[in-house]
Amino acid sequence: MWGAVRRNYLAGTLSVIGGLVLWEVVSRYLIANALLLAAPSEILRAIYRLTLSGEMGRHVAVSSAEFAIGYAIASVIGIGLGFGMANSPTFRQALQPWISGLYATPTIALAPLFILWLGIGIWSKVLVVITLVLFPVTINTEAGLRHTSDRLIEMLRSFGANRRQIFVKVSLPSALPFILAGLKLGIGRGLIGVVVAELFGARAGLGELISASADSFNMPELFAAVVVLAVAGIAMTAAFTWLETKLVPWTKD
Amino acid sequence: MARKLDISSLGKRFGALEALCGIDVEVERGEFICVVGPSGCGKTTLLRIVAGLEPATSGTILLDGKRVDGPGRNRGFVFQNDSLLPWRTVLANALIGPEVAGRVGAKERQRTLELLNLVGLGGFEHYYPRQLSGGMRQRVNLARALAIDPDVLLMDEPFAALDAQTREIMQSELLRIWEQGRKTVLFVTHQIDEAVFLADRVLVLARRPGRLQETVRIKLPRPRQLDVKRKPEFVDYVDHIWRLIEHDVRASVIDERQ
Ligand SMILES: Nc1ncnc2c1ncn2[C@@H]1O[C@H](COP(=O)(O)OP(=O)(O)OP(=O)(O)O)[C@@H](O)[C@H]1O
Ligand SMILES: [Mg+2]
Repeated sequence: MWGAVRRNYLAGTLSVIGGLVLWEVVSRYLIANALLLAAPSEILRAIYRLTLSGEMGRHVAVSSAEFAIGYAIASVIGIGLGFGMANSPTFRQALQPWISGLYATPTIALAPLFILWLGIGIWSKVLVVITLVLFPVTINTEAGLRHTSDRLIEMLRSFGANRRQIFVKVSLPSALPFILAGLKLGIGRGLIGVVVAELFGARAGLGELISASADSFNMPELFAAVVVLAVAGIAMTAAFTWLETKLVPWTKD
Repeated sequence: MARKLDISSLGKRFGALEALCGIDVEVERGEFICVVGPSGCGKTTLLRIVAGLEPATSGTILLDGKRVDGPGRNRGFVFQNDSLLPWRTVLANALIGPEVAGRVGAKERQRTLELLNLVGLGGFEHYYPRQLSGGMRQRVNLARALAIDPDVLLMDEPFAALDAQTREIMQSELLRIWEQGRKTVLFVTHQIDEAVFLADRVLVLARRPGRLQETVRIKLPRPRQLDVKRKPEFVDYVDHIWRLIEHDVRASVIDERQ
């Protein structure tokens, strides 16, 4: 088994290392222009410097707060709306066009408007995150609840279960994998929301760091922010995947 | 002997389709009834009506003299597909009936564990359905129905999805379990030999509309072992029933091809 694991990861690891080496070589010797590209070694040094000075911590704290608050609010409302839609056909019909429409719309384009409304503090970013995370969560929750197997519902009915028991014992657990998938989808969208909204105007945050570094042509710091964002995204998605194997193991293998 | 189940002039329509018509059956307490008939003759529908999962269009069903008008804990349903909840262990699946009724104490747990033992699943109570074979899953399905200690067991082709060998084993296992409690059983099957092996009486249904064609009393001694299937009487019963439904079965096969 370990042989298989090594085989599975070997190609990926080699390709990442190769890519980094290539990047290092290109930025040192081919495009040796500090205004256009930063070498991985320089980026690491920039991360180290920004961390020591406390600046990185400040940006990460602001962006994390925006993401966490927006994501939490969107999750609660999204799951709530999904429940409502699954339980009332009228509610679903009334909401469906809005949900589908807004899900397809790049609502991130509304970020400047939200900044006008709510200022350049964290709340305009929170609102952007909400508009991006809400819809996949709602849609998945509703779909998960609606696709409960009729066979399982009938089985529970044969034991005299009432509507509430059917909901709690069958619909909810069978919707859980869908809900988790929706929440996972929300991570990437939420992160994009935070950064892009900060680009439009913010006092602090990783997006603000990117925009300030770009203005001063500080490529190592710009890439430093991007790397931190990438690591955050990968880590959160991995944590979710792990959570799925714990919470909904029956959907695997 | 008190009559357990009394089905009289039962009819069921689905729109223009007459699924069942004029079904009259009286079932004694502890009797094992098998229902056979061509595909689409209404076997499942009959069982679902007795279970209270489907309302009848006409006629009545009395269980212990009381009218059936919904699902109840005096009837346990064993589904053709096992319908196990994939996120629950074997034990938690088998306990769903008591749980819905609102009582899962040490007593229910103990009883259900004993039932799992009885169906041959001792030691598997903490397994998940995906870790079990088809035969084992059907045993959980049976234990789950028994866990509410129903008066009547309703079984809809419970062994249809199993391979031939497993099915034979499950048939004799079912009889062994039944001998210990002698519940009233209504068992639907497509296999005529399965019906003859299990039943005290076989109800032969005809189709279009679904109706009772003949009731065949099986006078083979109990307890029955699998070798009874080689006895000439057994073969005669199977032959007789096959001849009753042969015409309908051919017609239904031709219907389904079209
Ligand atoms: N909910 C329903 N709505 C409409 N028609 C139905 C419904 N359930 C069953 N029927 C029809 O009633 C007839 C009897 O169906 P039923 O499932 O009881 O047959 P069956 O004898 O169990 O068949 P099989 O042996 O294939 O399982 C069929 O023609 C079927 O199409
Ligand atoms: Mg059927």
